[in-house]
Amino acid sequence: MMKRKMVNFKVNGELHEVLVESNALLVNVLREELGLTGTKYSCGTGQCGSCTVLVNGKPALSCLMLAVAVDGADIVTIEGLAKPDGSLEPVQEAFLDHSAIQCGFCTPGMVIMGRDLLNKNSNPSESEIQEHIKGTLCRCTGYTSIVRAIKSCGK
Amino acid sequence: MITVNTRILKAEFEYFTPNTIKEVLHLLDQYGSDANVIAGGTDLLVRMKNEVISPSHLINIMKISEMSFIKAEEGWLRIGAATKWHEVVEFCAKDRKYTALYEASCSLGKVQVRNMATIGGNLCTASPAADSAPALLVFNSRVKLTSAQGERIINLEDFFKGVNLTAMAPNEIMTEIQIPSINNGMGSAFMKITRVGADISKISCAVALERQGDICASCKIAMGAVAPVPMKIDQANKIVIGKKVDASLVEEMEKKVSEEINPITDIRSTAEYRRKTAAILLKDVFWKAWHRAGGDK
Ligand SMILES: Cc1cc2nc3c(=O)[nH]c(=O)nc-3n(C[C@H](O)[C@H](O)[C@H](O)COP(=O)(O)OP(=O)(O)OC[C@H]3O[C@@H](n4cnc5c(N)ncnc54)[C@H](O)[C@@H]3O)c2cc1C
Repeated sequence: MMKRKMVNFKVNGELHEVLVESNALLVNVLREELGLTGTKYSCGTGQCGSCTVLVNGKPALSCLMLAVAVDGADIVTIEGLAKPDGSLEPVQEAFLDHSAIQCGFCTPGMVIMGRDLLNKNSNPSESEIQEHIKGTLCRCTGYTSIVRAIKSCGK
Repeated sequence: MITVNTRILKAEFEYFTPNTIKEVLHLLDQYGSDANVIAGGTDLLVRMKNEVISPSHLINIMKISEMSFIKAEEGWLRIGAATKWHEVVEFCAKDRKYTALYEASCSLGKVQVRNMATIGGNLCTASPAADSAPALLVFNSRVKLTSAQGERIINLEDFFKGVNLTAMAPNEIMTEIQIPSINNGMGSAFMKITRVGADISKISCAVALERQGDICASCKIAMGAVAPVPMKIDQANKIVIGKKVDASLVEEMEKKVSEEINPITDIRSTAEYRRKTAAILLKDVFWKAWHRAGGDK
């Protein structure tokens, strides 16, 4: 029998205590236990980047992370980027302004990667943006407007 | 081929999070080959999802502070096996001497993968295409293996035994990677060829060399994905050592490397493609390293 484990972590500023199976993936716990379905599950093998969340401030793939491994971590999902009053954060606004959303499935991962880059580099070039979102795939192939949206946030 | 549901992890296992190397070794002695160490999990969990392996015990090594460090001391650069790639990138960006390692680290996966995956995991998976391997091989790196019985240090080239096979015993772990300090005049480079940006190499190559004017004083070459293990090239490089380097000599070396490697045909490339590309890749990497040894960035 598999042992269940209690894990404690912060998600979007809120502390959670969740009893998980040792083989539960972070993405499933976020979506199914906590109802945070903004994080998408697509390829399941790390290729696509749809499941990207911030773990201790750094983008990571929640489909290749065991929930038991993030005990004690501070996690931010796409739901946590908007301000508490519900107003969007600048990268989200820019995606709307530049129509950088087609089917929307890659958008949470893209926005998180855009935010992460801008945190480190306040005025990234087009090629720096391309390099940063290299592992986050948009199957509608709407990269041009995604890169434009992120670039518009630079200063 | 069976279709696997990668949205879940079917395998059931017991999970441990030890805080010291000693505890890991104790668990390994207790559970033997039923247990698997898990670092970043970016190789292991994919393999488990695809039901290639199904260990009944997983030992997480990411909470062991004595396995995550980068230290330059006493003639060696020492990197803890559980050090994440983004930390290696940040270190090498400051200390630009290890250029080939820097280029390999920057090219490994993508931002998210480098935030999760470790240098030890890359080597212990023993993929012929592991990007850090050629870069570490040209610097004559060694690895420290630790078991409850003690420690041993072996050369990296003796660590790889075949596809997914290493010199590690089931009760051993890799604790450290050791790279000899680099002389100021050394130039190095790493390049790989992939299908799309964030992808596993079809073929990769690293070169580290020293120059005395136009003479090549020393030259090490290593390649990935051209044989069952990451491979140190030890014939082709001899063509340039001690000689005045020019385009025709380098061309001779390119021809030789295509003969020396032992590539296969797989989903990423054919053997023939790899033989042809190896020559071209070596040419590009060699000249990059050559110009760097001459003072270029
Ligand atoms: C999307 C994606 C892209 C990738 N791109 C690349 C790429 O471009 N180049 C590349 O080379 N690789 C790539 N990889 C493969 C992988 O990310 C790397 O090999 C990585 O360095 C593995 O490290 P890890 O910490 O995640 O290893 P894990 O998956 O945790 O472990 C891998 C194996 O090593 C063993 N192990 C780990 N650490 C130790 C230790 N200290 N002692 C003993 N055994 C140990 C584990 O038991 C396991 O068998 C990619 C993977 C993904 C998912």
